[in-house]
Amino acid sequence: MRTKDMVIIGIMSALIITVQIGLAFLPNIELVSLLIILCTIVYRWKTLFIIYVFVIVEVLIYGFGIWSINYLYIWTVLMLITMLFRNKRSPFFWAILSGAYGLSFGTLCSVPYLFIGGIPMAVSKIISGIPFDVVHCIGNYVIALVLFKPLYRFLEWINQKGNDLIS
Amino acid sequence: MKERKKLLMTVLGTLILFSVAFLLLYLFYFKVLKADTASEGSKEILIQVIVPDEEVLEFTIITNAETLREALDEKKLIGGEESIYGFLITEVNGRKADNSKQEWWCITKDGEFSDYGVDMLIIQDKDKYELTLMEGY
Repeated sequence: MRTKDMVIIGIMSALIITVQIGLAFLPNIELVSLLIILCTIVYRWKTLFIIYVFVIVEVLIYGFGIWSINYLYIWTVLMLITMLFRNKRSPFFWAILSGAYGLSFGTLCSVPYLFIGGIPMAVSKIISGIPFDVVHCIGNYVIALVLFKPLYRFLEWINQKGNDLIS
Repeated sequence: MKERKKLLMTVLGTLILFSVAFLLLYLFYFKVLKADTASEGSKEILIQVIVPDEEVLEFTIITNAETLREALDEKKLIGGEESIYGFLITEVNGRKADNSKQEWWCITKDGEFSDYGVDMLIIQDKDKYELTLMEGY
């Protein structure tokens, strides 16, 4: 791994952690999904490192809980979905995808409960989380629609500048 | 033509997404919440609230709730806060645990300590739970 890659991973992880903590007081309104989408589009597979640095720091800050198990796969799922559509640049496309991801967040998070309490517990978790998932869906949709383009341009510009400096 | 198709797909995608979201919300409020409040409930559980040096209070809850927390919330028996370990009970039947005295609420089922938090305990008909105010961590 090159020094530049390590710097990118460090900065982007720190940025994601900062926005997560900064917006933690708003339930299910978050910028993490959009930043992971953007990182995946710009930095491709390096995003895996960004995600897991973010997850490790989150566990160090908040301690280990069931949510930590969710975090081990939930952001990677988003990254893998983004990799499939990484050439798309329409804010509407990413708003819809990010919204759909927000809507399915509770379902994705219910996987550990499947092993703890079986299908009834997982289903009850999904159902009780529906209002939060809907808020997450709307929040993700609006955030991606408004911020995808400016943040993508900014990230691309920084990436380009970094490449120019090295070469 | 291509632009029109793109616009149509965008509008369609957005419509589908929000339709699903609002359908889920509708089902949640009108089929789950209303069904829960409309019917009396299929499970009957007994809750004992034990505070040292005070009379033991007993509450019978008839509910359709899945978890103990949902059942207790229905009767507004508990208060507390979300923590990374799940819901933490800080108040039962109006009696708050005093942190300065290292008080905390302990959940037991038929006298046995529970491995799970209140929001992860699946209740069954005829279950008996005790909520005991403990002192000392």
